[in-house]
Amino acid sequence: MEIIAAYGTIFMILAIIFGLYMTWGVGANDLANAMGTSVGAGAVTIKQAIGIAIVFEFAGAVLAGGNVTKTIRKGIIDPTNIVATPEILVYGMLAALLAAGVWLMIASSRGWPVSTTHSIVGALIGFAIVGIGPDAVNWGKVGKIVASWVISPAIGGTIAFLLVMSTRKLIFNSENPLRSAKKYAPFYVFLVGFVISLVTMFKGLKHLHIDMTGGQSIFLAIVFGGITSAIGWFFIRKVKEDPEADREFHFASVEKVFTPMMLFTACSMAFAHGSNDVANGIGPLAAVISIVSSGGEVMQKSEMPIWILIVGGTGIVVGLITLGYKVMLTVGTKITELTPSRGFCAELAAASTVVLASRTGLPVSTTHILIGSVLGVGLARGIGALDLRVVLNIIISWIVTLPAGAIMAMVFFFFLKGVFG
Amino acid sequence: MAVKSTSPLAGLLRKSPFKPIQQHMKVVVKCAKLLPELFESVYNKNQEGVASLARQINDRETEADTIKSEFRQNMPNTLLLPVDRKDLLSLIKEQDSIADGVEKIGQILESRDMQIPAAIKESFDELLQSTVQICLKAQEMIEELDELVHVGFSGREHDRVTAMIKVVRREEHSIDHILRTVNRTLFMTEKELDPVSVMFWYKIIEEVGDISDHAENMADRLLLFLSK
Repeated sequence: MEIIAAYGTIFMILAIIFGLYMTWGVGANDLANAMGTSVGAGAVTIKQAIGIAIVFEFAGAVLAGGNVTKTIRKGIIDPTNIVATPEILVYGMLAALLAAGVWLMIASSRGWPVSTTHSIVGALIGFAIVGIGPDAVNWGKVGKIVASWVISPAIGGTIAFLLVMSTRKLIFNSENPLRSAKKYAPFYVFLVGFVISLVTMFKGLKHLHIDMTGGQSIFLAIVFGGITSAIGWFFIRKVKEDPEADREFHFASVEKVFTPMMLFTACSMAFAHGSNDVANGIGPLAAVISIVSSGGEVMQKSEMPIWILIVGGTGIVVGLITLGYKVMLTVGTKITELTPSRGFCAELAAASTVVLASRTGLPVSTTHILIGSVLGVGLARGIGALDLRVVLNIIISWIVTLPAGAIMAMVFFFFLKGVFG
Repeated sequence: MAVKSTSPLAGLLRKSPFKPIQQHMKVVVKCAKLLPELFESVYNKNQEGVASLARQINDRETEADTIKSEFRQNMPNTLLLPVDRKDLLSLIKEQDSIADGVEKIGQILESRDMQIPAAIKESFDELLQSTVQICLKAQEMIEELDELVHVGFSGREHDRVTAMIKVVRREEHSIDHILRTVNRTLFMTEKELDPVSVMFWYKIIEEVGDISDHAENMADRLLLFLSK
């Protein structure tokens, strides 16, 4: 307790710095995958993408991010045995943040497809094993989280597969694909607004003291869907047939209908990313703040203050502005094979899956779910060529990241313990 | 901090293999289209023209070869494709064989001052025209590949391409008919001609005939894509 009293402010400042460092890494790298498709398709410019990211990352973090933060903050580690020495948990959370941030930096500079989520989960487990004891890890919860890393891309893939099939049936295989596209496009845009807002609102806004019945949520989701649909219609109705482009590729005009629709999936991806990935950085930060401000209370009953979310969101936005936009441009130019209609299906599927996972408090990887969704499009025979080596690389990165994050967290933990006593 | 493009998404999405196949076919057809002109020079005994056209054919064949080998290098067996990888590889092989055949004909005509036997000229010309025609039809079919991928090889596009495949097969059948006529006519007059030249005319007719066989094989490959 004395240590917390003596170094409380330093711990808080360190936690904010490490939290910013980690979320900066997330913004510099991770976000590019989530939004690069829309940039590549020409639906949004890089400046617009940054603007969308600022608004929707925050919105996602505040509205739908609470449960994942809670999992990271107190779902994985059981601190019952260190009630008398709360500083252990503070060191651990700081070490986990630093370990995940450093691992992310190493991986990014090498081009490994690691996920921030996996780094932080690995780091937390690593600290708990050496700092408190293997029993302090809530293995049941960890098992669920690891299972969700396999299941969530599969869910994303299934939704994407069904969406692609529906666009084929309703639009591409119809007599006049362009007319059908214009007819059904507002419905698809409606789906974006409806699904994301329904998943977010359905008994999910308790932390903001908004308690809605199921019926009210559905009604509001329909309203949100209607609004997005109306905005979508405003862009879509301007799309004109382009006979020149159609000669080369018969569906060129139809694809042009989907281009403005990717504006909405860009927003939903940023929202989804905010709801899940912001938590990785701010969960440990919130834990430290809570322990210090309660004077050494490890059980953390207090609600998380909103300003912590803002710190996390700021880190991500700064990361995006300083480095992420470059990565986003590179990603955008490299994934032109994903045409707007397929990109739309993949992103809608991915965003819905991520927000759903966030609601259940499962820290998942936005990027891996997007990969799963693109594979779903591929399984519908909708993409020229997908290199499955990437899937193998991702599995390897899971196997490497968990121990790497864990070992680094152990090292940083002992270092911090040595410094502060 | 140097951020490489770590996007697994970019690694996942490879360039569509259908574009290079279409590009390859474009070059192959350009090559085949030179055949009537080449024989026009033979008829006019313009050996210089023959040599120049043979060189042009050679250049296009090389261009096609380059596309083909680049295509093969970008086809690791870890790819998830909407069609069978082996079928794609044999499709481009069939296309390439067309260019190879045209090149061989060019080489024969370049090294030997050949003269067309008057009796076969008419039916041989018909053979040439039909061969160019079947190549164009095969190209039309290949041009639909990216649309087919877009609709998952189903629906209206499926029916359209099935119809195109039928056209190619019908053309091949009628070319077989022309081939029989040319060969028979040549046989009837071969005793009056220089034996070595006759041998080479048989060889040339065979090479031209093979082109339509390759076009038909392409149609068969495409049918496999549709029936997957």
